This record gives sequence, structure tokens and C-alpha cells, in this order.
Amino acid sequence: MGTTVSIELTPDRPDDELRALIADVCDWLHEVDARFSTYKADSEVCRFRTGLIKLEDLSPDMRHVLDACADLWRDTDGYFDAYATGSLDPSGYVKGWSVEVAAARLLTAGSTSHYINAGGDIRMRGHHPDGGPWRVGIRHPWEADKVSWVLALTDGAVATSGTYERGDHVVNPRTGRPARGLRSVTVVGPDLALADAYATAALAMGEAGIAWLAKRAADGYDSAVVTDDGRAFSSANLPAAV
Amino acid sequence: MRRSTAAVVGTLSGAALIVGVRLSVQPPAAPVAAPPPVDLAAGTPTPKPKPSKSAAGNKSGATSKPAAPKSGLKDGVYKGKGASNPYGTVQVQIRVEGGEITAAEATYPTTADSATINPPAVATLKQETLGAKSAKDVDAVSGATYTSKSYAESLQAALDAAKA
Repeated sequence: MGTTVSIELTPDRPDDELRALIADVCDWLHEVDARFSTYKADSEVCRFRTGLIKLEDLSPDMRHVLDACADLWRDTDGYFDAYATGSLDPSGYVKGWSVEVAAARLLTAGSTSHYINAGGDIRMRGHHPDGGPWRVGIRHPWEADKVSWVLALTDGAVATSGTYERGDHVVNPRTGRPARGLRSVTVVGPDLALADAYATAALAMGEAGIAWLAKRAADGYDSAVVTDDGRAFSSANLPAAV
Repeated sequence: MRRSTAAVVGTLSGAALIVGVRLSVQPPAAPVAAPPPVDLAAGTPTPKPKPSKSAAGNKSGATSKPAAPKSGLKDGVYKGKGASNPYGTVQVQIRVEGGEITAAEATYPTTADSATINPPAVATLKQETLGAKSAKDVDAVSGATYTSKSYAESLQAALDAAKA
């Protein structure tokens, strides 16, 4: 799926070095797309689907992704399902994971203040160039030019799943029908891949996802939810900006 | 007598939900808050009369007479009527032995959707008014995944354009 990635680095080094860091992130994300795309017949995912590559010959990254999808399937009671559409589609994990890896590479390279926003899912560290925390708006589910919450974070991930942007793209794997009940689910936590997967799973659950998300708070994943009929819910420790 | 028993059970239901399982719980002297409607299912060793639904299920009847004699409990296992919330049904059960409540516990649904959200501790998200704020002091925007195409119309695109 084509999306757009925004990267912001707090300028702590010469411009050409900043650009090299951004280029490295872009290279990695393109590499991930080539290896894990479900649209490219020669990707590792597609070759594994068609049996051209065997389980024992998979790359370590692919094994990690498959293991993580299996863990998430269990932890979400089947609502996060990489096989929801019939054949393997780990995109719901791969996007968050690839950004998580990209941000870790930035950190390894010495960039301690940055954010990467991949299609609305964000991993950030450190501070805004003005010294404050990063301020992240959660898009209002009906008014595209408004935000319904503003969060302040110095280290963490914010992922949002919703039905307002791409329609009924999230399916309840229990029923095979489009998810109903929740319009927007945002999960905030330490790991973008998990935050994204939790948000998608809760959206698939419908209103029952609200209570399911409440339990994730104990593991450091807070959430903000808007139902189809416009009710809003948030967990007690959601890092709202002041 | 039935009515007052119902009142005791109802209050304990509430207490059990808060403190979880407590053994040898003494019946409180006087119930304070109106309990959720409780239907006494027949206790295992208890002989009939079977509880009259109109009396036991009548909330006002149970609350209008809050006196709760400590000695009014018959031995047996009693289940409260399941209390439904959007995420499933919570049912409370007590055991009475020798006129004393010896066990009180809440059971949670274990089937279908409810099983996934079946909480060991009932946590919730707080409901609030949906805000609609301007994005003027925001560095990045999180939202449902946009495509390359719809990115152009997104707030994030506007922010990126402003910084470029």
C-alpha cells in the first residue's frame, strides 16, 4: 500500500549529515517495501505465499515478523490476524516494525531527537527543536482539519486506526465483515508495531475493543477512542499536552 | 424474609465486585446503596420455596426494606442475576454455610467476544466530550492510515509544507 512518510530530525549536526540520515531511513523503508510487499510478486512475502521459498529458508526479519504476528494473534484473541484475508498479509505489523527499526537506526547513528510519521503512525524520540516535547495531534474523525486530542511525548509511539480514511478496510476476522462500532482508535506506547497492531485489533473488535484497550494500559499502552456515534474515551494516563 | 435476603445478597454483589474474592465475609449490617437487580437462583442444597421472581427481582422492594439481619441466611450457593454491560455479563455468586457467607466471587463471561476482554480487574476508559481543536501548535498528526494520494489533503502534509 502506498503511503507517505514524513521525517523530522532536530538539527544537531550539519545539513548534509542530516540528509544522509534521512536517506538511510528512506533506503530501509524501500527495502522493507520490496521484501514485504503483498503487491510485488518477487517479495519474500509473496514467494513464501506461493511456496517458492520454504519456511526454513526465510530471512531472520521475515521470521521475526511471522513470530510477532503469531504472538499478536494470540494476544488479541484472534482479532489481529495476518491471515484475515485468506493468505498471509503481515502489513499490519510490518509498517510499524519497519518504522520502529528505522527510528532505532537513527538513534544508533546518534540522532536522539526525531520523529517518523508513516501514514499517520508515528515513532518519536527526544525533543522538538525548540526544546519541548513533540506535540502530536490525533486527527478528528469527522473534521479533517481538526484534532481531537493533542499529546506531548518525548519517547514513544502513536498509532491510529480508523474507518474514515480508507473506508471498511478493517475486517472483523470473527465475522469476515467490516468492523463496526469504532470510528477511530489511537494507541500510545513504547513500540509502534504493537501500538499499531493493538489499534487495528481494537477497531476490529468494535465497542468491545474499548474494554480490551483498557487492559493494555497496564503494559504501558494508553488509548483514545471515538465511536461511530461520536462518543470519546481515553485512558487515564494518556499523555495529553497541557 | 426473602426480601431482606435479597437485599443482603445485592449489597454483597457490589462489595464482591470491588474487593474480589473474600472468604468469610460478614454480611454488612445495613446496605447503603441500591443494589443492582438481583434474582436469586435456587441454591444447591437449599430446599424450596423457590424465590418468587416478583419479590426477588423487584428492585424497589429490595431497597425499600434495607434491614439485613445477620442470621437470616439459608445455607446454599446463590447466584446473582447477571449484570450486563456493553462488554459482557458479570455474575456474582456467594456461598452460605451455617448462616454465614463463606465465599463471594464474581464470574466473568468466557464465551465469544466477551472472553477476549474478560478482565481480571475491570478497567475502563473514561468517557469525555469529543474535542475539535485547531492543529496550530502540533508537530505531527496521527490518524487513520492515509494513502500517498490522500496524504496530499492531510494535516500532516500541511505541516510538512509549512516546514519545508
